[in-house]
Amino acid sequence: MGEVIVITSGKGGVGKTTTTANIGIGLAQLGKKIIVIDTDLGLRNLDVVMGLENRIVYNLVDVIEGSCRLKQALIKDKRFPELYLLPSAQTRDKTAVSPEQMRKLIADLKDEFDYILLDCPAGIEQGFENAVAGADRAIIVTTPEVSAIRDADRIIGLLEIHGIKKNDLIINRLRIDMVKHGDMMSVEDVTEILAIHLLGVIPDDEHVVIATNQGEPIVGTDCMAGQAYSNVCRRILGEEVPAMDFGKTEGFLARFSSLFKRN
Amino acid sequence: MSVPSVDVAKERLKTLLLADRMQCTPETAEKFSADIYHTISKYLEINPKDFNIQITHTDIHIKITGEKH
Repeated sequence: MGEVIVITSGKGGVGKTTTTANIGIGLAQLGKKIIVIDTDLGLRNLDVVMGLENRIVYNLVDVIEGSCRLKQALIKDKRFPELYLLPSAQTRDKTAVSPEQMRKLIADLKDEFDYILLDCPAGIEQGFENAVAGADRAIIVTTPEVSAIRDADRIIGLLEIHGIKKNDLIINRLRIDMVKHGDMMSVEDVTEILAIHLLGVIPDDEHVVIATNQGEPIVGTDCMAGQAYSNVCRRILGEEVPAMDFGKTEGFLARFSSLFKRN
Repeated sequence: MSVPSVDVAKERLKTLLLADRMQCTPETAEKFSADIYHTISKYLEINPKDFNIQITHTDIHIKITGEKH
């Protein structure tokens, strides 16, 4: 039986979709059979981040309405052994799907996959209800900002109400230089306030923007964010991975030579 | 130099979360916090800057730090 993980945040723009894509890819690289599902109806994004936007024929709503078979809507990512995407519908809204229908869909997928990852839309309305309906556990993504942490706290409360007890935190876009100058909350500040288990910290890294531009994964590359996502994936599989030391970022020479490597 | 912005952020966030979790306004939350402080200070010698209340979804934590012994 596969495990169903919803990736959520409350606030938009903190990196849910990027996190879903890279955890999905990272777990597939580690030999797991993965499906990632975009549950953001009307604002389809996960396919674009993964670079699969040109291969969509059918979507989540088509499957739920019975317009196609489940297998027909799944897009296989050929770059990895066992990674599939179920895209969202761009022209429908949140009311096209109910939590009950999501639960049934996920039950059908559970036997076939090791992990089912659900990319949750921003907000706490029906899209959220749909995304969490079939989930066993949750990953909450936040950035070290007051508004994002406040929303994350609200989401943690709502997840508890939905009976989801295993909630892990990812702190995204941490800037260690700003933390050192006292201008950004540290990992300890955030975990102390939210009081949930920390799954990983992703440093703010321009390589994420570059990879997203190209529809390529960041996980598996040797940049800081890539390594951080790899660590998150190994922790999901139960491995004890020590926290990364962001303090010793690239020195002057390393940065200098990477300027030449890029071309 | 003025107060590091991170301290302002943490202070604002703590007030906001207290209010969200208690489902009341930040002012009510601050009054609640002040009343608890007042009550405790009747029995213990405490200092406002070493006193912190945190309400999670399931518990209320009251933390008093500072000089011991």
